[in-house]
Amino acid sequence: MSIFRLLASRILFSALTLLLVSILIFLILEALPGDVATRILGREATAKALEVLRSQLHLDQPALVRYFQWLGDFLRGDLGTSIATGRPIADVLGPRIVNTLLLSLFAFALYIVLALVPAIIQAVNRGKTIDNVISVITLLLLSLPDFLLATMLLFLFAVAVPILPALATISENSTWQEMLRAMVLPAVTLAIMMAVYAIRVLRDSLIEVLRSDYVRLAELKGLRPRAVLFRHALPNAIVPALNVTALNLGFLIGGVVIVERVFSYPGFGTLLIDALQLRDIPLIKATVMISAAVYVAANLVADVLAVLLQPRLRTSR
Amino acid sequence: MTSVTSTPSRRFNAARWRATPGPFKVGAIILAAHALFAIVGAVWTPYGYAEMGAGLPLSGLSWGHPMGLDQIGRDVFSRFMHGAHIVLLLSFAGTILGMVAGTTLGLLSGYVGGWFDAVTQRVVEAMISIPFLALALVMIIAAGPALAGAPVLIVFVVGLVYAPRITRIARAAAMEIATREYVAVAELRGEGTWSIVFREILPNAANVLLVEFSLRLSYAPILIGALGFLGFGIRPPTPEWGLMISENRNLLIASPVTVFGPGLGLASLVIGFNLFTDGLSRMLGQRPVAGA
Repeated sequence: MSIFRLLASRILFSALTLLLVSILIFLILEALPGDVATRILGREATAKALEVLRSQLHLDQPALVRYFQWLGDFLRGDLGTSIATGRPIADVLGPRIVNTLLLSLFAFALYIVLALVPAIIQAVNRGKTIDNVISVITLLLLSLPDFLLATMLLFLFAVAVPILPALATISENSTWQEMLRAMVLPAVTLAIMMAVYAIRVLRDSLIEVLRSDYVRLAELKGLRPRAVLFRHALPNAIVPALNVTALNLGFLIGGVVIVERVFSYPGFGTLLIDALQLRDIPLIKATVMISAAVYVAANLVADVLAVLLQPRLRTSR
Repeated sequence: MTSVTSTPSRRFNAARWRATPGPFKVGAIILAAHALFAIVGAVWTPYGYAEMGAGLPLSGLSWGHPMGLDQIGRDVFSRFMHGAHIVLLLSFAGTILGMVAGTTLGLLSGYVGGWFDAVTQRVVEAMISIPFLALALVMIIAAGPALAGAPVLIVFVVGLVYAPRITRIARAAAMEIATREYVAVAELRGEGTWSIVFREILPNAANVLLVEFSLRLSYAPILIGALGFLGFGIRPPTPEWGLMISENRNLLIASPVTVFGPGLGLASLVIGFNLFTDGLSRMLGQRPVAGA
């Protein structure tokens, strides 16, 4: 199979997955048995309030019609109107997505460092004390719930040693230094949570690669150990970690919900929680669809990168 | 194969315990301590878990109140103790539900193949594409106010989040086992699909599924805690640990022990599960999968 056909089929499957996601979300939120309006407003709601909500959600129309209308609008870029605020969802979402994107980029840069450095130290010193110490620390951090890690970092660096702000509230008027300072704690939390998964995988694959014939050959040729490690071993060892990184992106999308909540960061995650608390169904549908799209896209990119980085995979799959 | 099943005696004795890997021992001891603590906490606590005025509010930690008191004077340690069996029961129930659903679907899908497999895989893929926390929260909202905070809903949501992930693992195992001779023999004997899936494939996938169960179980307290922390979990005043951490978070400056006490409990439980899983997978010759 040529690489282009492979790419085309991957993209097609991704689109199909997203279509199914939209059906699932719609089914869960609007097509479960029972009256949607009553479920949103509760049993005590007045008949008038229920009537208003029904017309806002077009509940007088059959479910199938509503689904296709929503899908059509969504594909044309019309995300609908938020019930709680009455504003177009695109306007509400835009700035939040930018904020979360900035936070994620910061976290991702930290993640690469926090994953690579310990894994390399472990692989080079495999079996020694430092390897075991890092393994134990990784396991402990792996067992720490994200909301607890965030709370601990908040306590350490905002309460016990107050060097960073406890609330990551930023606005359009914030200078970039203020924004960076506000983002440190949430970004570090996210980066640690992601790195602990990658360190294990990266360490194991690096050790495997360091044992392989071509690394032996490179060593025998008399290359400096540093050159062997960074030029020959690392690029090959990173491929298995790519899958974890794609998984981590999935975690990142869920993780921002918790971390943004702990630090009151005005991003996509806090918006989702607000939408859920207010039972703002159009906003919930839009945020969940977008997060699923990001996850699917991240996996697609990871798949393609894996194929491009490792020629062996180009034909085998 | 040096799997456990090949040893002649299946009874558990001191010699077999000594032969288990180190992490398994430590994990099993931590889990046993948690189980004991949960059983005691279910029947007896120093103060009532919802009893106000057990002492001076926010007076910090002392011998009488090892996790301090919250702002309405409830003894945090009593609440923590009472919460232990709730966390454990919810985690087990949710994971078992996910295992039953995921294993049935995955084994059938992997063995039957064809369009059934294709459809199942696409749906599983779609469910995994929704970040699990978002999926869980959306399910809770969709269930409506009548069910909000009910233990049944939390169990169902954990099962629903886990089922597609377990389906994938079970399917891969079934596809591999389906090519073995004894499955072909069973087919020639004229056994039905259900019989082959549950009497030939399931016992042979047991090792993979056991490790998967243990792995999912490790994460369940975190997932349930996260739901409680965000205010979508068990309804107060039931002391689920994530909910307690969230309730006491505004006491972080006045009395940090009210947050880190329950936090330590939750983290140690997950550490116990993780070590246990690590040891178990080594004993059964499996490699645990990283990532939730």
